[in-house]
Amino acid sequence: MTPKRGPRFKAVLAMFLSVIPAVGQAQTGNIPRGPDGKPDLSGVWQVLNSAAWDLQDHTGALDFPPGQSVVEGGTIPYLPAAAAKQRDNFEHRETDDPAEVTCYLPGVPRATYMPFPFEIIQTPNVIVFSYEFAHARRHVFTDGSPHPAGFPDFWMGDSRGRWEGDTLVVDVTNLDERTWLDRAGNFHSDALHVVARYTPIDASHVMYEATLEDPKVFSRPWKISMPLYRRIDKNVKILEYECVYYLQDKRYGNAKPVGVPQ
Amino acid sequence: MKAVLSRISAATAVLAFVVTAVPLSAQEKAAAKYVAPRTADNHPDMQGAWARRGVGLQEANAPSTPLGDFGSTGQPYPTVFNTGVFTTQDRSVLQGRPAGVIDPADRVLPWRPEADAARRAFIPKMIPPASLAYVEKAARCVLPGPLEADDRHPYQIIQRPGYFVMMYEYNHVTRVIPTDGRAHVGSNVQLFMGDPVGHREGETLVVDTTNFNDKTSLGRTVPYHSDALHTVERFTRIDPNVLDYQITIEDPKMFTRPIKIAGTFQAADPKTELMEFACAEGSQVLPNVFGFELAPGRGQASK
Repeated sequence: MTPKRGPRFKAVLAMFLSVIPAVGQAQTGNIPRGPDGKPDLSGVWQVLNSAAWDLQDHTGALDFPPGQSVVEGGTIPYLPAAAAKQRDNFEHRETDDPAEVTCYLPGVPRATYMPFPFEIIQTPNVIVFSYEFAHARRHVFTDGSPHPAGFPDFWMGDSRGRWEGDTLVVDVTNLDERTWLDRAGNFHSDALHVVARYTPIDASHVMYEATLEDPKVFSRPWKISMPLYRRIDKNVKILEYECVYYLQDKRYGNAKPVGVPQ
Repeated sequence: MKAVLSRISAATAVLAFVVTAVPLSAQEKAAAKYVAPRTADNHPDMQGAWARRGVGLQEANAPSTPLGDFGSTGQPYPTVFNTGVFTTQDRSVLQGRPAGVIDPADRVLPWRPEADAARRAFIPKMIPPASLAYVEKAARCVLPGPLEADDRHPYQIIQRPGYFVMMYEYNHVTRVIPTDGRAHVGSNVQLFMGDPVGHREGETLVVDTTNFNDKTSLGRTVPYHSDALHTVERFTRIDPNVLDYQITIEDPKMFTRPIKIAGTFQAADPKTELMEFACAEGSQVLPNVFGFELAPGRGQASK
């Protein structure tokens, strides 16, 4: 007993139905969403810029790709003494860079724009960031829990997140002062406080913005922004970049032991 | 009412008699009938914080070794946050369950004679290390391979449709295990943790891992393995507070047949947050062994 419908009815129905998703798309685009309606950031992401070498405008050099500043307003507002320390860092970057030379955990926000992919694994209460460089990992708790009181600093900080509409806002404290912000020696102190914002643009792009506040080093809070690109390669996976192992092979591979570990 | 109760208790006594008369293997089958809650994609839900127990390659007739027992629980260890993982839940389901090497039953590992001879020659050169190649793998702060994470730090499992994710606090290891049927990465990609792919078999998640490099160890007396290593792990939630864990170690260049190890993951405090375990950033083991810094910084670069 299915009533027969003419082509005109079908056309009208199709037009009517097409309006509903169109209204939805205006609000949401084709952003993947979880069962809770929040954007689902899960996947493998990577930047396409040279911020890892220098956040600010810089000219190309050997093993140093050129790039334009990702800093809002162009330059980092250093206090005078801090500006001198940054210049010193820059001159000694070949020996002093704690991430790319020493292979330490890269810290926040630098882990985001290292020239390596990272994976986001999102669940309702915790969003895991797993980075290929040095297999660094962060847990962004979105369960409303506060930063732990009385804790020391961590190389990757302590991250607590919340949603503002479709934007994931991550508050990062407890950051160790020994990490740098890039290969050019831009740096911070243990007073660094980072507020990062991840705003989906569409299914394969997220706008990343981070505000850095550190009254010991900067005269005011300042902001960087850059898109994150989804790695859509077939079978893309985070592999391993075990920086410290390669460095040990290079430094100690032909060396003669002199002692025994205590 | 009283009569009903006494009848029930009489029935219970009979039932208890019947149950105790049943052989152990049937009891294990009964335990396996626990059905775990399900995830959104209908996998057994194993999410939460866990303590690993009993997983290790302790062999019979092992050569003596100068190395400390790095992987076991209860040893003094200079860590700030976790000197152990507390598991306070009911663990009666564990009674009588085997742990450690279960096949071969006598724990005499099926060594290839030439591989056994090679490692017996290798072990005495580890302390003091004859060269970097003889330094204990754990001292290099590398990813630990299939067995050499420790039991003092918690683990956390999260699941998403298509993924089973196992995070270790120990050396911040993250294993993202796809369960979407994809193939392993190409054979020329070698990894410390190998390339895992998972699939569900009833109540069990089976993880097949290939693509290992030969740069991790399997135990105190098995200081290395070959790049032919292949593991199959089986995770089964047999109780709200217990994951049964089995791992089969296959390395045809080292052993004549696979070795099977059993252990458990036991529920940790649900409020457990994994802390940061930074290893290379603070370790002075290699600088002490070789007498100069790994990354010298300015002024010592010529060393």
